[in-house]
Amino acid sequence: MPVEEMDKLSYKLRLALAVSTIACALVLLISLFNDFRAEWKHYKDSFVKYAQIRPDTKKLLSDYSPSVDQVWLPEMNVTDRCTTCHQGITKPSLADASVPQPFCAHPPMYHNARDWGCTICHRGQGLATEVAEAHGTTQSWESPILPARFLQASCGSCHQDDLKEAPQLTRGRELLSSLNCQACHEINNPAASELGPDLSSVGYKVSRAWIYKWLSEPRTVVDQQGNVTLNGYETWGQMRMPGFRLTEQEVRALSAFLSLQKAKPLEMSKIDPSVVARFSKNGDLLARGEARFRQMMCTTCHYLAVGRADESKMTGGNTAAPELTKVGSKVREEWLVAWLRNPQGYLPDSTMPRYDWSDEQLFEVSQYMLNRLADSHLLENVPPLGEATEEEAKAGRRLFREKGCANCHTLTATSAQRDFGPDLTAEGVKTASELDFGNARIDHNLVAFIQSKMQNPALVNQASRMPLYDLNQADVDAVTTALLSQTGPAPSAAMQHLVVPRRESSFEPVGPFARIYQRYKCYACHLFNRYGATIGPDLSYEGSRAPEKWIAGFLKNPRPIRSASNLRMPQFNMPVKDAEIAADFLATAMQKPGVDPESVDSRQFTSALASTGKQLYEVKNQCQSCHTIGGMGGNVGPNLDSSGTWLTPAWIEAWLRNPQDLQPGTIEPRRNLSDEEIRALTAYLITFRHEANLRTAGIHADGVATLQGGGQ
Amino acid sequence: MGASFHSALQSLRATRGWKSIFRHNSAVTNRARSLAVRGNLLLHWLPVKVKDRSLRVRTTYYLGSMSLMLFVILVVSGVLLMFYYHPTTPQAYNDMKDLRFVVTNGVLMRNLHRVAAQLMVLLVFCHMFHVFYRGGYKPPHEFNWVVGIVLLLLTLALSYTGYLLPWDQLAFWAITVGTNIISSVPLIGNKVRFVVLGGHVVGESTVLRFYVLHVIILPLLAFLFIALHIWRVQKDGGLTVASKDDEG
Repeated sequence: MPVEEMDKLSYKLRLALAVSTIACALVLLISLFNDFRAEWKHYKDSFVKYAQIRPDTKKLLSDYSPSVDQVWLPEMNVTDRCTTCHQGITKPSLADASVPQPFCAHPPMYHNARDWGCTICHRGQGLATEVAEAHGTTQSWESPILPARFLQASCGSCHQDDLKEAPQLTRGRELLSSLNCQACHEINNPAASELGPDLSSVGYKVSRAWIYKWLSEPRTVVDQQGNVTLNGYETWGQMRMPGFRLTEQEVRALSAFLSLQKAKPLEMSKIDPSVVARFSKNGDLLARGEARFRQMMCTTCHYLAVGRADESKMTGGNTAAPELTKVGSKVREEWLVAWLRNPQGYLPDSTMPRYDWSDEQLFEVSQYMLNRLADSHLLENVPPLGEATEEEAKAGRRLFREKGCANCHTLTATSAQRDFGPDLTAEGVKTASELDFGNARIDHNLVAFIQSKMQNPALVNQASRMPLYDLNQADVDAVTTALLSQTGPAPSAAMQHLVVPRRESSFEPVGPFARIYQRYKCYACHLFNRYGATIGPDLSYEGSRAPEKWIAGFLKNPRPIRSASNLRMPQFNMPVKDAEIAADFLATAMQKPGVDPESVDSRQFTSALASTGKQLYEVKNQCQSCHTIGGMGGNVGPNLDSSGTWLTPAWIEAWLRNPQDLQPGTIEPRRNLSDEEIRALTAYLITFRHEANLRTAGIHADGVATLQGGGQ
Repeated sequence: MGASFHSALQSLRATRGWKSIFRHNSAVTNRARSLAVRGNLLLHWLPVKVKDRSLRVRTTYYLGSMSLMLFVILVVSGVLLMFYYHPTTPQAYNDMKDLRFVVTNGVLMRNLHRVAAQLMVLLVFCHMFHVFYRGGYKPPHEFNWVVGIVLLLLTLALSYTGYLLPWDQLAFWAITVGTNIISSVPLIGNKVRFVVLGGHVVGESTVLRFYVLHVIILPLLAFLFIALHIWRVQKDGGLTVASKDDEG
């Protein structure tokens, strides 16, 4: 087209050019406008407005900047722009609940937001500057913010050791290990867990009918008021063996298979016939058996349901040992005798101590249990099963593997299977798209998935082999927290560096004490350097606390120290030599560094000092409100009648200085006493050397201690 | 308006600056005009003489020109995006987030680049079909048809290499699937795939490879072939204008 005809552009073409020009300009304008009114700018403005109506406006706006704010920690791959809107997060004056979000300050915490960012704990999308993108699940971000009630899960991603600040996480981990989840699932950093009992000789222990009932009917239930609906089943406060969804046919097959398990014949299962003959004339056999049962403090470990009127309550017990209410209708007589004689003969790993009982004692106790702790109606509902047929046993053997029984119970014929259930080591960071929700009508997110799996596995997956766990909501939340903390391997070396590993806690004494430690199963009740159970006192510092002589005496004849406690150490009938070996080990090896009983010269505790101590004890510090001396005082703390023989002066001094250092969590108040006061109180306390009626110490009222000079 | 535009142009052509750039005066004869075009670097790849008919919308629908304009838009927006992009993982994805959330007009730039790229693939295909059905591959245009095929492949390669760069799930799996197809080539398939990915799986070295291809090698080749393509249009006697257009 010649230049002269330039102005002859058609009307259509001009229109098209004009429209496209306007469209381009419009797109540019819209883009600019969107940038201008970005969501985060609105929060920036409203923070300024909010600060202006507060008295500390200047302070709040001292570091205000109208641009995007972020915490940038490249080595941890953190770029968190949360503080762009959450502008009050580090401002202490915005801590109270009346401050509107997103301006509220963070509650007091252990990690500074500026050093750690936000998403490391809270998850969500740190890079985002829009509310929906930052907090939720969107098309381009599948790790939404972690609901606050599971926040402790984030502690657990790094802190593999238990934290006292994260009780829900600790409880969840406890449940993971006590429910023995790692029998079927791979779990990061698992705590040692207890397997179910070895069943290789279970045919000697119980009848097929009892196995049938155990597998097919609901267990003993303890409701929230503590009322017990007994069903003649073992229960451990909470169920340990979960409910498997078994058909009648499957229960028959499994009971047949298990009743044939008789790998190791029972040893020493007979009582001397002469003893039996002697007792046949003795009418108070069962009464004596009951007295012995009580005297042995069996209920320290074992639950027993006690009926009052028309309701029954659980008494005693702890999670380590089975309920015994109807044990007489469960186990065979020969098995019970053999078991009571030597528990480790049947279950080598059992933590039940071996009591050196004579045949008479054994006969009394076993007859009491078989006749009084029994219920003749227990197996009434079990259909006649007859002898186990070969076909049933074969089917039972197959089921034993298929249902995962072999993962918790040892059997000579089978071994545990690896990778039975899904790997859970990275369960906590799974996205919704990685989970199979099936047809379940639940929210499509990780928390809902885990919780419905815990409450009813079949809801999510009909074919799931996972059994039913009867957990309350708090425990489901705890397990959810523990699973959410399973975040797989650290994503970077820097993050790996932050992981606080679990402290290995095991205690293996050496020398002659090793035999005693295993023989009496000390760890079943006591803690040794963080290893063991917490039924009895922690013995990690026993050597600093008690003189050797006292320990030996106590082991020979245990008695309660705390009158408020209904537990006491069982009477082991320990030989003198064993008691001395144990006392020697405890006194020399189990000491708190810096609290050496030898280091305190008791000659410095004069009687003048002791009378000052008495004043301090009775008047200034009011110790008698918790402790009893000579029948006077409270029952909260231990009885101090024999504090002079039971406690070393070094321990008393260290205890008065800082009780929580010696026993974390003790309720003994820390009073910031002066050195002079501590010495006076120690001088006073070591004067009590009352060794009156040891069995009833704490109740007697006659032993008024007298002040003794010198303390020696 | 036409007259004033004309006179303004005339006076502009008389300025010293204009003359120093274009070397020639406003030519009056056709011969002088064609010499002026040929003697100028910026104009020489344009046809010396354009038939009125070939400028009508219906003749070409401007499909080739629009593809060229999209290429220019892609280069400009792509260069702007390069200021924010790191070809490393997982930073690449974080850069997408930065463009989305904090870079001024970042969303516009990204979407412009994305939409223009998709539109360019579409228009290049339309252009090809149009030329094909108009018989534009026939002599003397057969070489330029082949150049056009090369340009189509370059466009597709640019599009494919750019697809990985956001480093999101879509990108990762598209490239994984795409390169697995390569590995089904007999004998050399796996080796070729290894070279393309810089490893056995799509990873950081793949991102780097695709980035270099996407921002240097392929655009440079595309630029050379586009220049060749347009230059050959005029060398081969201008646009293919069907006889029915001649009549129309």
